[in-house]
Amino acid sequence: MIRNALLTATLTAATALSSPAFSETVLRLDEVAVGELDPAKASDYADSILMFNVYDTLVLPQQGGPGHVPHLASAWSADGSTYTFVLRDGVTFQSGNPLRAEDVVYSLERNQALGAGLSYLFGGVSAEAVGESTVKFTLDSAYAPFVASLVRLPIVDKALVEANKGDDEWGEAFLSANGAGSGAYTVSSHNPQEETVMAKNNAYFLGVAEAAPDKVRLRYGLEAATVRTLIAQGEHDISSQWLPPEVMKALADDGAQLLTESGTGAFYFKMNTTKAPLDDVNCRLALASAFDYATAIQMIAITDDVSAGSPSTGAIPMGMFGANGSEMVQAQDLDKARAYLDACKYNLADFDIEVSWIAEVPLEERFALLMQSNFTQLGIKSHIKKLPWALFAEQVSKPENTPHISQLFVNAVTGDPDTLLYGMYHSSTPGTWQSPEYLSDAEVDAHLEAGRTGANDAARETAYASLNARLMAIAPTIYGFDRQSVFAASNRVSVPALSDPSMAFGLDGMGFSFRLMEMVE
Amino acid sequence: MSPIFRLLIRRLGISLIVLIGVSMLIFAIARIIPGDPARIALGPNATVQQIAKLRAEMHLDEPLLVQYGYFLADVIQGDLGTSLYTNRPVTLDIAQFLPATIELVLLAGVIMVGLGLPLGIVAARYRGRWPDHLVRVFALLTVSAPSFVWAVILMLLFAFYLPLFPIAGRISDIYEIDRATGFLTVDTLLAGNIAAFGNVVSHLILPAVALALSGIGQAARLTRANMVETYQKPYIEMAQAFGFYPSRIARIFALKPSLIPSLTVIGLDFAAMMGNAFLVEAVFAWPGLSRYGVAVILRKDLNAIMGTVLIIALTFLIVNIIVDLMIAFLNPRIRYSTRTGT
Repeated sequence: MIRNALLTATLTAATALSSPAFSETVLRLDEVAVGELDPAKASDYADSILMFNVYDTLVLPQQGGPGHVPHLASAWSADGSTYTFVLRDGVTFQSGNPLRAEDVVYSLERNQALGAGLSYLFGGVSAEAVGESTVKFTLDSAYAPFVASLVRLPIVDKALVEANKGDDEWGEAFLSANGAGSGAYTVSSHNPQEETVMAKNNAYFLGVAEAAPDKVRLRYGLEAATVRTLIAQGEHDISSQWLPPEVMKALADDGAQLLTESGTGAFYFKMNTTKAPLDDVNCRLALASAFDYATAIQMIAITDDVSAGSPSTGAIPMGMFGANGSEMVQAQDLDKARAYLDACKYNLADFDIEVSWIAEVPLEERFALLMQSNFTQLGIKSHIKKLPWALFAEQVSKPENTPHISQLFVNAVTGDPDTLLYGMYHSSTPGTWQSPEYLSDAEVDAHLEAGRTGANDAARETAYASLNARLMAIAPTIYGFDRQSVFAASNRVSVPALSDPSMAFGLDGMGFSFRLMEMVE
Repeated sequence: MSPIFRLLIRRLGISLIVLIGVSMLIFAIARIIPGDPARIALGPNATVQQIAKLRAEMHLDEPLLVQYGYFLADVIQGDLGTSLYTNRPVTLDIAQFLPATIELVLLAGVIMVGLGLPLGIVAARYRGRWPDHLVRVFALLTVSAPSFVWAVILMLLFAFYLPLFPIAGRISDIYEIDRATGFLTVDTLLAGNIAAFGNVVSHLILPAVALALSGIGQAARLTRANMVETYQKPYIEMAQAFGFYPSRIARIFALKPSLIPSLTVIGLDFAAMMGNAFLVEAVFAWPGLSRYGVAVILRKDLNAIMGTVLIIALTFLIVNIIVDLMIAFLNPRIRYSTRTGT
């Protein structure tokens, strides 16, 4: 009896001691890939979530519309290929060090020296500190989207990295495990196999709302079944976008909310323009007209109201410079397809079109089957080929090895159409995963250059609208649908940037700025 | 020199040769399978120049033999290189993830032996009667479904519909435990936090049972079959004729010789769990080495593949040595045969 009482008392005391002293709000979310903490190496979605919360950038995308607003910078001016940014006063890093112009210069140089992640955005850019709080960027050549690309240049605490770098010139080991930013959240722990834990930075220069989560656990590599069970049991808050649509639907049926992020990319069926019969524009137009766009949209629907994509209106997703209006929604037209077939110099009955899909994205197999069925309606033979990503990336480096049709999701990494379209269609960038079309078209090149160097937004809008028209006319790609990322979430959390279009950033991952979220309970 | 010690030396020598062979084989296979590790590591946005730079840093543009030379030189210094998956030293990753898998596999092994052997003994002892039938049905059921199916079933039954056990991870978020050894059962006890220890054990139960279930069936079936065969030996008949108690006959005369083949298979099953645990680890979000191994294989992370495979191979060899020693201990014929080198 006494022994039992003692045991109970011990257990009770131990439980009390191990419980937190105050009630803190914890946000739990997951991503499939492991998040890379080093901002110079960040490239995918999980990396972006970490980067946008632990670090700050000079500018931020305007919420709910185009353009950018000052963030760490208080103002900027442009003069040809020179951009001058004045830093906001009184900003400090999480370490307490003041944020100065030399930190901006260091961040750019570190990014360029490591040559990883999205460093290619800053090729031909140099920076110079003009005093403590002014930094001047000089570009080798005019690049209109430069300000947009700064959303991918997080500012690193130079003094902290220098103090912890050891023999490692750029402190890679230190920054792979620790944060050195000024962001609204600090890194508490980082276990690449399990999770990154972040805590609210109460000294953040913009302040952090009371209702924002006190702690965030970004979990990695959870299975769909596990996420489903965790959310249902109230032990998880936001799923990754990679949850199968059936699981998303089941969660939505159970009362979960569906968050969305759109306007940053699209799903494309890319045609190898160097391989017969797709080197003939009429053959390509025939296939583009034969594709059943409406069924493709139905295949990605999650509920009656929410889908992982919206109908495509052309090469450029709606919301970006040069996008077509909704009256241009793509639709299957078999009569038109037959007319194009008649005009094609090849007899397509003599060919067997290879439609590939990426093994890691099972959804693409369904699209391949749909495409095969559409082509059969025109009497065109095709076969489906499953390619693991690694093999696909290797095969597309040579046009003769590149399949007739490749399926890809492509995003604008800065939100600007240049980072979506230049890599796909400019003749100087063939043979990458983005450009299995191997397109070489002088008019397309000219429009892309004009978009890159346009003096103002109106000029760029005109350049991209012309580009869109040209790409529709020569059809190197079947423009499947505009992508919308969908996340299932518990009702414990409110995420305006992913649920209210007027608060959306138009940049992948930025909707996950935890400081703008509210924990409801 | 004692026979057991001689056996140990011989087994260690063979194991070293096997380990070198495994390293050469995996080194070659990992580099032959399609896909450029540098391209995969740098992601879809990497430029041709970035990929070329990483390939040069990884010596991928040099002949295979030269690459193996670099690998051996680094391994001798205790350096397994950097993982392209986690961007950390592979040794650090292994040190962090291995304890989680060992903790899981050890408990699964204890469950497998603790339930499998007694069930086999009971089935053999009551062969042809209802306990035997019951054990055989149970064994068949557990052997015929893979661990990940059991993982999902157990999660549904005991975490979703009947929320008795936690769903994911090794410990609940509310506990902040200093991970001195990486074995959370040990770390929580070192911290004197009994509630946290209980929490860690509750996290271990479902994945360990899922991992052990097919082994339990295997051990039970094997033990039963061996004991049934032993029961037909003349010395058992003689023991029965002498009027020994059935329990004594089972324990002393039937079990010991029957254990030898069972031990070999149980040992192999135990070591195989290290590699096979990945699906169970994936379902229960268990941050272990098996899951890490699969993740690095999918990303063609050469250094991490080598490190993980070598650790799993080493575990196989160690467990085999232990099993060999146990068998030698149980069977004097094997023990003394080492004198003549047979």
